[in-house]
Amino acid sequence: MNPLDPADVATASHRRAFLARTGIGLGSIALHTLFGRDHLAAGASSQSLGLPGLPHYAPRAKRVIFLCMAGGPSHLESFDYKPELAALSGQPMPASFTEGQPIAQLQGQVLKAQGPMTRFGRYGQNGQEISDFFPWTQKLADDICIVRSLVGEQINHDPAHTFMNTGTAISGRPSIGSWVNYGLGSESNELPGFVVLTSEGGRNPQPIASRQWAAGFLPSQFQGVPFQSTGAAVHYVRNPPGIRSTQQQELVRTVARLDRHRNEQVHNQEIDTRIAAYEMAYRMQTSVPELMDLADESPTTLAMYGATPGDGTYASNCLLARRLAERGVRFIHLYHRGWDHHDRLRKYMNICCGLTDRATWALLTDLKQRGLLEDTLVIWGGEFGRTPMVQLKGGKGPGRDHHIKGFSMWLAGGGIQGGITYGATDELGYHAVENIVHIRDLHATLLHLLGIDPQRFSVKFQGLDMRLTGVEPSRVVQEILT
Amino acid sequence: MLKRVAFVLFCLICGRHPAAWGHTPRLDFNRDIRPILSDKCYHCHGHDAEQRQAGLRLDQEVAAKANLGGYRAIAPGDPDASELVARIVSSDLQLKMPPADSGKQLQAEEIATLRRWIEQGAAWSEPWTYVPPLHHPIPEVRQVGWPLNWVDRLVLSRLETARIEPAPEADRVTLIRRVNFDLTGLPPTPDEVDAFVEDRRPGAYVRLVERLLASPHYGQRMASYWFDLVRYADTVGYHGDQDHNIAPYRDYVIDAFNDNMPLDRFTHEQLAGDLLPETTGRSKKVERLIATGYNRLLQTSHEGGIQPKEYLAIYAADRVRNLSSVWMAATMGCCQCHDHKYDPYTSKDFYSMEAFFADIDEAGHFTKGGNALPTQRPPELDVLNRTQRGRLTQLENQIAVMKRRSDSHASETDQIRQLEKACQAIRAQTRRTMVTVSIPPRTIRILPRGDWLDENGPIVEPAVPEFLGRLEVGGRRPNRLDLAHWLTDPQQGVGGLTARVFANRFWYLCFGTGIARQLDDFGGQGEPPANLALLDNLAIELLESGWDVKQLLKLLVTSRTYRQSSLDRPEVASLDPYNQLTARQARYRLPAEMVRDQILAVSGLLVDARGGPSIRPYQPAGYYRNLNFPKRTYHADTDSHQWRRGVYMHWQRQFLHPMLKALDAPSREECTAGRPRSNTPLAALTLLNDPSFVEAARLFAQRILTEGDSQTQSRLDHAFRLAVSHRPDATERRLLTELLQSRLQQFANDPEAVEQLLQIGVAPIDQHLDPVELAAWTSVARAILNMNETVTRN
Repeated sequence: MNPLDPADVATASHRRAFLARTGIGLGSIALHTLFGRDHLAAGASSQSLGLPGLPHYAPRAKRVIFLCMAGGPSHLESFDYKPELAALSGQPMPASFTEGQPIAQLQGQVLKAQGPMTRFGRYGQNGQEISDFFPWTQKLADDICIVRSLVGEQINHDPAHTFMNTGTAISGRPSIGSWVNYGLGSESNELPGFVVLTSEGGRNPQPIASRQWAAGFLPSQFQGVPFQSTGAAVHYVRNPPGIRSTQQQELVRTVARLDRHRNEQVHNQEIDTRIAAYEMAYRMQTSVPELMDLADESPTTLAMYGATPGDGTYASNCLLARRLAERGVRFIHLYHRGWDHHDRLRKYMNICCGLTDRATWALLTDLKQRGLLEDTLVIWGGEFGRTPMVQLKGGKGPGRDHHIKGFSMWLAGGGIQGGITYGATDELGYHAVENIVHIRDLHATLLHLLGIDPQRFSVKFQGLDMRLTGVEPSRVVQEILT
Repeated sequence: MLKRVAFVLFCLICGRHPAAWGHTPRLDFNRDIRPILSDKCYHCHGHDAEQRQAGLRLDQEVAAKANLGGYRAIAPGDPDASELVARIVSSDLQLKMPPADSGKQLQAEEIATLRRWIEQGAAWSEPWTYVPPLHHPIPEVRQVGWPLNWVDRLVLSRLETARIEPAPEADRVTLIRRVNFDLTGLPPTPDEVDAFVEDRRPGAYVRLVERLLASPHYGQRMASYWFDLVRYADTVGYHGDQDHNIAPYRDYVIDAFNDNMPLDRFTHEQLAGDLLPETTGRSKKVERLIATGYNRLLQTSHEGGIQPKEYLAIYAADRVRNLSSVWMAATMGCCQCHDHKYDPYTSKDFYSMEAFFADIDEAGHFTKGGNALPTQRPPELDVLNRTQRGRLTQLENQIAVMKRRSDSHASETDQIRQLEKACQAIRAQTRRTMVTVSIPPRTIRILPRGDWLDENGPIVEPAVPEFLGRLEVGGRRPNRLDLAHWLTDPQQGVGGLTARVFANRFWYLCFGTGIARQLDDFGGQGEPPANLALLDNLAIELLESGWDVKQLLKLLVTSRTYRQSSLDRPEVASLDPYNQLTARQARYRLPAEMVRDQILAVSGLLVDARGGPSIRPYQPAGYYRNLNFPKRTYHADTDSHQWRRGVYMHWQRQFLHPMLKALDAPSREECTAGRPRSNTPLAALTLLNDPSFVEAARLFAQRILTEGDSQTQSRLDHAFRLAVSHRPDATERRLLTELLQSRLQQFANDPEAVEQLLQIGVAPIDQHLDPVELAAWTSVARAILNMNETVTRN
């Protein structure tokens, strides 16, 4: 029996052993049915208890905060300084770099090099190179590990995000947050284990499909739940107008009694699950507004993030990310949607960094102050980087096109060595050439830090052992771990 | 574990308990051995030549038993001389199979099973999937009075062998409710329930079934399932997720099911309606073209900077994945990068299948498709629906007749003008829909590792998978129509396989699970059918009836097997936990659209309008905030479209309506043959608080207050009969009465709350009713609509 097969986890004997182990009665356990199969899953949906046997080994991080700069921030204006590119600026890009390579919006155009559009400095004890667009990240130089050798496979936004989040561009696969919650369960019994927050600003906002937080073939309870910054944070989490909280509670209680009464005749476990789901739903009606209400945050904290409660900004989302982390949410995914800088890159970098840089610093600092950073993995980056070639879209000022053959991200927190730079691209910032980190390797490293052996973490789907890291070889990037 | 269950079942079926094996039970290769070999060995010793280790194949009998220079992997009758056994029991990590780094492990039981099978002579058989269905003899049974048709005898015979009693027949109320949901997706009205319960004449149930199959709601229900398979949606799916024009295809599918169009014809029209010979009248041609919208249902992208060649490759692969899932229950998608590891499909097969679709004109995707709503995706056709077409023809004929008379009285000229105006009014109602237009085919190559940038692969022509035969088309290039015929022709093609695939799915629609449980994977990694004789005979029934879907469904739902109670019996559950022997019916939450339809029907809000563009129920503000190109504002319908059936809901792939999503409806990015059935807090929040459902509760309350007398008890009786088809018992009455009293009291002191609650939704309020009473009953109605039983089919 494969303990990771959702079909197997539900077997009666297993269930008994599992219940004995956790000391939990059936009343609070949900049995998820997929294609007629029972699944063991936690009743309150997101507060699942994880799979037996997981984590495989002691985790270095308990949770993940993924700060996704959607659109694809330029590595050449953030963490990958290329003086040789400056020397070549305005000249044709050598064909040896570009021949036979996938090209997005620059298809059919003359490819010309574009030097860095800002200055870089060296920061922290090891002199990490960080551009002037990121004055606050500069202060984090000793906390973050910059990886300059990321490689992806998808050159358009939608599939690139899908690849970053699910390990493939094919629709219908679970995203990282779903995988992680499925494997490890959630530590919150009143919030979903996988929460998504989005914000805008900068260039025309990137669409982010709900596929990016889908549970794919995993039970739907593991899907990410997007929290809205305005209106009801979670759809239908507010009582209908005219219904007070006590009434809603009474209603839920009556429904539970009616269901329980019916169940005395039909003896269906699924009804117990349902009752538990209703109870959790009711709890969420209180816990979600509590989470979103920043009234208990000090003015100092709000100022540190630059957040105004309820403004829906990246800064507010960073603060919410910390609150979610405190409450045991396993995977917190933030998207800032303004980073697709095909034109006027300098202008838009200023806007995007202005909206995010300080808040990112505040989040890491706050986590550190509260002792949360040591078991929280924080990842910063986009779905890809940007071309060393210039894009002159509409004559509006130089920008850069999508680029997947070498780009930068940074990691910090649980299990990550701060203050180092890993990997390198070639002299023009085109191809990753040293210590290449494929997105699959990033996935493997993430799982590893959470105590999951990427090779042993698979689920049967359509007869295949599906893994987040896919079928191609992947490796844990041990060199950047503490 | 599944294998263990299968094994326990096997023992049961043989009337033996594992602990009491006097004789070794006879193992069956396809049922007991192939699943083990496939899962644990075929990755390196299977079909994929590139991955094959040590030149050893265990997927072919001759190779597996061949002399390998003094020893054999499998030596029939002699496990100790079989290298396979030596390697799987080896304690030497260098030798042990499967190797540690494969992540695979054989369980002790599996090893014992393999050993025993070799001991028994290692009898081999071809994969059941690719052997055409055979007619299996109908077995004799002991309880001769139980079966109503041959389906029952095939089921009962298995139950008798396993010494399991079939479940008693469900009561008539449960039965009419069950069959209503299964065949129409709607609940029966209290009058229909009464009529059926009281109809003691023979044949009452069969008459009920016939009425439901003839109902126009039948097509809507079946279409919902079809749309999951073919991934029908209103938007393009990638990046900007713009709307595209396809709604007429939805009407076509609904009409096709209602007309009981034979499934083979239905297949031909969708895959190749544009290539079908002209045999019928004008309007039919339009329908055949609308049907070819199937080839355009896939996800497309209009993102700036997409590389046409890459996306043509993506689209082509998408089509093969869908076709193979829908018609063949095959996972050919694996072969985009390599030969299939578990099934005989090759990479060449994959690209040869792609080549059938190489003639589809989709250049417009890259030149015309933009950020408009809807986006342009030529070729498109402006069409009328069937009623409109009929009316138009009628008017045109009338005009022609009048013109022929042409005595040109002023009054007649006037009349003609009127008629022409009417014609114009109808023509103005045309809707646009994507269709298939055939152009000279583009070149299709095998893409090594699926890499569209690699042009070194050989060019392929359209061909069916090699191991399944070849198309005889007299030297011309085979086309989509040839493929469609091949899929449905049991003699020259794989019609038998297709018939099995669909017989299995119709069974699933009536019993909640497939006879073969993997509805989209009949391959080596799927599960063999629990009752092959049953599946085969149903497939043959489907073929012999000329692909008559209604007839097959009638056969299923009129069986005694179908009419069993769904109540689980602990002693049976422990023997057959997955109900693979169908010793009872199934109980499960209704699919998302049916939940909506049920609640709207109960409240009296349901509007039974058919066809037309998609409808837009209320949706949380800002739900589309993460969409762009262009930015999207959702405008909920403010008229009666608000209360139409779920099958007509706007299907936004990237942001599916939260109700649909919470209740497990798929995004329709890929083929979905069976939906998950989850029970989550998000679903609870939806049923509790979605304004569509609160509005429905308000109208349900109105109905309760106006339709019955004024006694609380009879009002509750009526409410329960509407929602769950029976009266409440004493406990249910008490609980709801308590809720009512509490609410009456509270709302009497809270007029503001009353006003707010009654304003939810756009349905008008009956001004004759006391608002406090209406609000209190709305709360009772919410409780009833949220009961498990209300949204459960059992």
